[in-house]
Amino acid sequence: MKNKLFEKYFVFSPYFWLVLFFFIPLAIIFKISISVSEWGMPPYQDIFLFDNGFKINTTFENYVYIFTDYYYIGSFVNSLILALISTFFCLLIGFPLAFYIATSNIRLRNILLVLVVVPFWSSFLLRVYAWKIILQNNGILNVILLNLGITSEPLQLLYNQYAVIMGIVYTYLPLMILPLYGYLNKFDLNLIEASKDLGLNRIKTFFKVILPLSVPGIVAGSLLVFIPVVGEFIIPEMLGGSDRLYYGKILWEEFFVNRNWPGASALAFSGIIILVLPIVIFQILYSRWSQKNEI
Amino acid sequence: MDNNFLVIENISKSFGDNKVLENINLNISKSEFFGLLGSSGSGKTTLLRILGGFEKPDTGRVILNGTDITNLEPFERPLNYMFQSYALFPHLNVFNNLAFGIKENFTQKEIEINVRNIAELLSIEHLLNRRIKQLSGGEQQRVALGRCLIKKPKLLLLDEPLAALDKKLRSKTQLELTTLQKKLKITFVFVTHDQEEAMSLSDRMAIMKNGLILECSSPEEIYENPKSLYTANFIGIANIIEIYKKDENFYSDDLGINLKLNKELKNTKTNILLRPEKIKIQSINNLKTSSFNSFSGEILEKSYLGSFTRYEIKIKNMIISVLDQNFNSNSNYNFPKGEKVICSWESESIKVLED
Repeated sequence: MKNKLFEKYFVFSPYFWLVLFFFIPLAIIFKISISVSEWGMPPYQDIFLFDNGFKINTTFENYVYIFTDYYYIGSFVNSLILALISTFFCLLIGFPLAFYIATSNIRLRNILLVLVVVPFWSSFLLRVYAWKIILQNNGILNVILLNLGITSEPLQLLYNQYAVIMGIVYTYLPLMILPLYGYLNKFDLNLIEASKDLGLNRIKTFFKVILPLSVPGIVAGSLLVFIPVVGEFIIPEMLGGSDRLYYGKILWEEFFVNRNWPGASALAFSGIIILVLPIVIFQILYSRWSQKNEI
Repeated sequence: MDNNFLVIENISKSFGDNKVLENINLNISKSEFFGLLGSSGSGKTTLLRILGGFEKPDTGRVILNGTDITNLEPFERPLNYMFQSYALFPHLNVFNNLAFGIKENFTQKEIEINVRNIAELLSIEHLLNRRIKQLSGGEQQRVALGRCLIKKPKLLLLDEPLAALDKKLRSKTQLELTTLQKKLKITFVFVTHDQEEAMSLSDRMAIMKNGLILECSSPEEIYENPKSLYTANFIGIANIIEIYKKDENFYSDDLGINLKLNKELKNTKTNILLRPEKIKIQSINNLKTSSFNSFSGEILEKSYLGSFTRYEIKIKNMIISVLDQNFNSNSNYNFPKGEKVICSWESESIKVLED
């Protein structure tokens, strides 16, 4: 009986964690997002006033403001496009790598897996900064290109959207490879041989057998890359230029530079809703589909 | 009969330092049901995978119906391979699994007709809309077979076709498989570690050990006249007795008796094989031991197997296995444990193992 009780609490402890450190902060952000801003500390008014009797002091102006200004919508769209492109390239590079790792012998497999995880052992900030050093005008890459005579003057590799995509693909690649590997590891290689035996060449086998059976891994890896990239702040800040504004940066500026807490909170809360709702719907549809297809 | 339908010529294969196949030569006829029998590590599956195109041999050639197919990819070979695990596609239903190999070159209507025909042949029409996970082992085996047969292959390779089935289903499926093969006249080559399966399915079979083919013949020939000690022991129950020449006849130290052979021997010392069902077992009261090919011993163990009773009979330094058919329904007919009995056999029943 005692053990049962312990089990119950043990199982629910992650939910407790989630409520304490996710739902309560989220509620606080929502509260700030509907309050009226003012100069002061904190820079917003209370939503419940008790001066002359009880009064609710809320406004949805912050939401109206961000949804009518192209500055905010545009940056959010930029972030979505960036996340889509980055996820695509992570998948393009990550899938063959994960497949190769999953199908190689156990010794090589362990070495390769360690190599995938090794970057996590050093600081994220440091790794992005290293790219800055490599890509800058007198950086390693430009020096090599100049010495090889491929270019006559240093190329502007840094501070543009391509540098941002490269940096994101580099940092988020392990998050794509690991879940994909997890699925491909269980892949029955006889299925590939069976497909070839039944007359399908390598390319057709990939599209008819390997790809459909890898969908769960592809979905898991893509979500793991896509969601955090939408809100990514550090990489665009360090490698990006002024050619494109991203959601994470706007949020930062609204909060720390403009000290518009209600506006920043409204931006953050809308971002979560816009991102989470379609993903939840997708997950429901997907789980139905995969149950039907028993993948 | 064209016995050069499938020619395996000097095939050798190594994985690193491990020699898996050494100079394999085999000729298999058209419409033959051919078995490759060996314990694990004998190289039998590697040989089958080379035929399927999944492994490339280090040396040698594979010639099918006059065409050298050694360097063809699996999808270019006019043959099909049935995997031990069946390797059915879990994301497709039975219909689409069956249609997988013909989707490219057939119209929707032709696919429909072909799938129906093959499903009818294998009595799986009622399963066409099922998912693979909803099938029993026996049903999966049929789908795997159907998926290959729908391609109308010249040669079907089967890796342990019955290993995943339970015992009762296995004997039923054995019979169905032979009937099907005789009906379709497709050449079947299969791999098994189960000697009973090999004997009941094969027209001819090859015994493999450590990458070599020890013997290749019909099951009857291999059982009755094995050439090597390994084969004699591997197939069925074997009593192996060492004998040497003594005067006109032969003598066994282990049994302490004289033996008469209807065959001349090259060596003065050799092993002979005496199959347990060839030995006649009689009550000691009935008659005396004759001076040749008989001995009296004590029943050490007895196991009643229904149609047969198996006795382990101790004589001098040896234990001899005897299978006695239960002619009488009277259970008293069986000899009890500890009873002294006389065992005897015909001279023709003694098989000399020359090497």
